[in-house]
Amino acid sequence: MAAHAHTHSPASPSERLLEPVWAQVMDITNEAEGISTYWLKFTDPAVEAAYTFEPGQFNMVYLPGYGEAAISISSNPADPTLVGHTIRFVGNVTRAISRLKVGDVVGVRGPFGSYWPMKEMEGHDVIIACGGIGLPPLRPAIYHIMNNREKFGKVYLLYGARTPKDLLYPTEFEEWERAGIQVQVTVDRADEDWQGQVGVVPMLFYRFRMDAPNSVVLTCGPEIMIRFVVYEGLARRVPAEQIYVSLERNMKCGQGSCGHCQLGPYFICKDGPVFRFDALQPYFNVEEF
Amino acid sequence: MDPLDELKLELQKIPWFRELQIKHLDMIAGISQLRNVKAGEVLFREGDRAEYIYIVLSGRIALDMAVPPRGKMRFHTADPWEVIGWSSATPVVHQRTASATAVVDSRLAMIDSARLRELCDQDHDLGYLVMRRLSNIVASRLMSSRLQLLDMFAEPENKNAK
Repeated sequence: MAAHAHTHSPASPSERLLEPVWAQVMDITNEAEGISTYWLKFTDPAVEAAYTFEPGQFNMVYLPGYGEAAISISSNPADPTLVGHTIRFVGNVTRAISRLKVGDVVGVRGPFGSYWPMKEMEGHDVIIACGGIGLPPLRPAIYHIMNNREKFGKVYLLYGARTPKDLLYPTEFEEWERAGIQVQVTVDRADEDWQGQVGVVPMLFYRFRMDAPNSVVLTCGPEIMIRFVVYEGLARRVPAEQIYVSLERNMKCGQGSCGHCQLGPYFICKDGPVFRFDALQPYFNVEEF
Repeated sequence: MDPLDELKLELQKIPWFRELQIKHLDMIAGISQLRNVKAGEVLFREGDRAEYIYIVLSGRIALDMAVPPRGKMRFHTADPWEVIGWSSATPVVHQRTASATAVVDSRLAMIDSARLRELCDQDHDLGYLVMRRLSNIVASRLMSSRLQLLDMFAEPENKNAK
């Protein structure tokens, strides 16, 4: 299924946020059941040349006739010529995306949203705690750290999935380890052939000793997991100002106009998706928020 | 090295044991022994008498439950400094409710559960420290089980999903 390329391609960043530009699917990587990464290349060289993104940001991916979905960028920010989106097929738009083939074209608006504080994290230890589809928005941060490894202290990736076959990017773990990232992987359930860890992501905090005042925690995943990751960080006396969470809610417009993704005074699409925890604290773990 | 000294040396690598008074460390070491297990070796099986608490010193131990007809389900792994078989320290648990198997070659300290209970009865200061530690273990395992039960990675029922 191919979407038709648009003749007008707004190249300026402000236009790009309002009107989709067109990008071709260059490759598709099957990551796990119901999850694939789509590698997109902008069809307009001027758009490609101007496009940059920060780790943690997302694009609105548009499929004519179906609509748009907010999708985190999961690729290397140092190479924005090929933009990766790891997508779980859960709704009308993403299921339609699942039927795309290499060579098809989609619309893209973005990048949107706040991002992981890579600059502020320099000189600190970094704990990246994520679960399931929460890893893709953090993979650009991992690449950024690998690209600038000497600027960061100890780096830990604590990653969990439902079962071993649900783990994303397992072939990259060794490379990340070689780059000095301590990778701890766990699954919620397994059969007896699984040699790795079984348990939940927050428990991985017990696997290492943390220099809490000098640590920054980045977390993304199911909100219930985020809640307990934050508890573990705070229990070890990581300051709330050094914990960052990325939230996903029903983002529609991508610019804080429609209100679908509101959390307290914030719009996840505009003010987030990445928040410093102290800003969210009053609304976190509060029913109805 | 004398086996008891070796055991104490191993235990003192664990932060909780480093906080114990020497007399309490000696008391626990006196009812404990070291055990090495090979990858694949079964430490205990469901239904076995629960006689020891184990502390993983190195390696990884998996806890499995047989769930007919699904087979063996692995629900927890214990890495260094984790405790398995904690429920045998309680007065009412006599049987293993899961099987424990070494995932890789592992070394463990095994503490005689009945004698530990006796020591705790005799020395309430030690009893308080042991039960406080056990309550932390139970709390973290309960939290872990709760999150597993929630199946938090399951695809959410979300009619607004894009």
